[in-house]
Amino acid sequence: MDWTKVFLSILLLPLVAALVNMLFLRRNGTTAALVSITAAFFSMVLAMIALFKCTERYSVSFPWLSLGDFQASMGIYYNPMTATMLFVVTFVGFLIHVFSVGYMSDDPAKGRFFTGLSIFMFSMLGIVLADNLIMMFVFWELVGFSSYMLIAHYWNTEEARSACKKAFIMNRIGDFGMLLGIAWTYWHYKTVNLQALEVFSSQPGFVIHGGIALLLICGFIGKSAQFPLHTWLPDAMAGPTPVSALIHAATMVAAGIYFLCRIFCILDAQTLEVIVWLGSGMVVYAGICAFAQTDIKKILAYSTLSQLGYMAAAVGLGFPGLALFHTTTHAFFKALLFLGSGSVIHACHHEQDIFKMGGLFKKMPLTTALFAIGTIALCGVMFTSGYFSKDAIIEVAYFKNTPVFILLILGAFLTAGYMGRLFYVAFLGSPKSQNSEHAHESGFFMLVSLVVLAGMSLIGGYTQGWAPFARQLVSGELDTVHHQIVSLQAEGLFSVLGILPWAIGFAIALLFYGIGAKKDALQNHLPSVYSFVNQKLWFDEIYGFYVRNVQQRFADILNFCDVVLVGGLLVRGTAGLVGVVGMMARSLHVGNIHIYVYWFLAGLIIYWSFAMGYF
Amino acid sequence: MTLHSVILVAGILFITGFLGVLLRRNTLIVLMSVELMLNAVNLAFVGFSRYNNTMDGAVFVFFIITVAAAEVAVGLAILVALFRRRQTVMLDTINQLKD
Repeated sequence: MDWTKVFLSILLLPLVAALVNMLFLRRNGTTAALVSITAAFFSMVLAMIALFKCTERYSVSFPWLSLGDFQASMGIYYNPMTATMLFVVTFVGFLIHVFSVGYMSDDPAKGRFFTGLSIFMFSMLGIVLADNLIMMFVFWELVGFSSYMLIAHYWNTEEARSACKKAFIMNRIGDFGMLLGIAWTYWHYKTVNLQALEVFSSQPGFVIHGGIALLLICGFIGKSAQFPLHTWLPDAMAGPTPVSALIHAATMVAAGIYFLCRIFCILDAQTLEVIVWLGSGMVVYAGICAFAQTDIKKILAYSTLSQLGYMAAAVGLGFPGLALFHTTTHAFFKALLFLGSGSVIHACHHEQDIFKMGGLFKKMPLTTALFAIGTIALCGVMFTSGYFSKDAIIEVAYFKNTPVFILLILGAFLTAGYMGRLFYVAFLGSPKSQNSEHAHESGFFMLVSLVVLAGMSLIGGYTQGWAPFARQLVSGELDTVHHQIVSLQAEGLFSVLGILPWAIGFAIALLFYGIGAKKDALQNHLPSVYSFVNQKLWFDEIYGFYVRNVQQRFADILNFCDVVLVGGLLVRGTAGLVGVVGMMARSLHVGNIHIYVYWFLAGLIIYWSFAMGYF
Repeated sequence: MTLHSVILVAGILFITGFLGVLLRRNTLIVLMSVELMLNAVNLAFVGFSRYNNTMDGAVFVFFIITVAAAEVAVGLAILVALFRRRQTVMLDTINQLKD
């Protein structure tokens, strides 16, 4: 089989769908949906074929742009990482497409929406397949653009308009560092090809350049919404729910982790240390913030931030395979949770406040059951997919870095706490508003994707069942972790730790919030704590202050320079000078031929005196 | 007949023509004055040609006369067109160029 063609088809099918939708089907939403879904489906089928049949590393490269000695190429580098991510992105992406048919059924701008989904898939697949940093950066920016477009889907609301700008600008800040990093990589290592870098870094005497690694991870910080650029992710909830699912599960934030794993060979110890602390800090920070949210999607958004922290910690501890393992299982259960919340929101007539829901288990039993599966998988309850991937990361932290281990355990506890709060309040008890009273079970398209995702959330963690090639990604690292734990005789500890955090979290949430609470218990009993948490450590305020008082002042100075120096002196000054000369010249024009004869005579005299050398 | 007298006559003719261009207000007269200046130059050409005993200047004069004939034809045609349009050929009324 010609794998180049297969990979190119996986990549280009969504692009073709996007182009067809954009050019011809803007007003025909149903056909546009069909085109996008077909493209996503065939991408998925081809990715599955590749996953099972293409069992060797594969790379191909085409020249794209050559400027003198410098040559940028577009290429494909296929290894176990690529295989896994290709499957995850196309599989979850396809299910989200299917879900969207139901969710967006009464949206007037379906054509635009599906165009966005397809272009998002295309950009993400480009990142997954890219064999060099420059190509990756191109698609990286495309992901930024498509998220901007999709978050702004409800552009007539102020919230969506500012959220899409925020997402784009926050990402641009990170991407700028990444761009510098790529340029420096080329300058220092003389190549940006990932495979070449891998080979290069395995040679003896190779020294990793720390500055490059630090600059490159700026891209990860922006795209995966890590501290200090994390503020865009909760705001990105302004987009339609399937988009949130796509951003949070399979594409955008996973791209950051995937990028780290791809460039893992050129990350040095200090940079990894930075990543560990960013990640484990985010696990706890986001976990706490989630407690003060009442919007079902924002709670899930903070849980994504927290789970990304786990993945980042895994990379930082030197286990990129485990990070991608968690990315994979997280993609399944987080897509399930988001789509489940989408199903709830759709049923409740776009009510997103969990304290106005309640009692949904009677109205929509299947959605509730599926959401519960997502919740237990996220919290890492035994034998769900989340249990395997999250526990592996916690075990790594146990023998590598004790403070991080404590933070991660705390994070697991917090996760169960806020997810328990969400579940008890929104699904159990009795309905608390008109909207939730009239809720009804969602349609076929929405439920079928939820069911498939729930299945994957339950069994996705059994790596024994993975395709052998993709399994290479995690099997080695899982064995290492297992041996370490055995040699430290910590198996007993972990059989307890596998249960304790989530059990305590669920129990405390149940005791504290109670079934179907009408008001937030934390807000009632400890209003000061609640408002503190609700401020999210004032990050938005600090950035706002910085932008208003520092950046805006600087911009004012630049504006002054522009208006006075460039605009006033240079542009208007030149124009004024020319104008004055023109006025003088015009006054010579009197319209009387006799005067022109005198001018002619005068000109002749001047010319003559020049010729004679009098001047 | 010396070169001096030829140059003198040519100079007088040229200055007459120039003053005509400068002072007269009738376009027709101005055009005639321009022709006068041209022919003053022709006269000088012939004078120098004779003084140097070569035919160059005399031959050149024929070319100038030919071209001048064409030029006058065009000039008079413009003048006729101008008169038809504005019913006058006086220079002080033809000053639209300044606007």
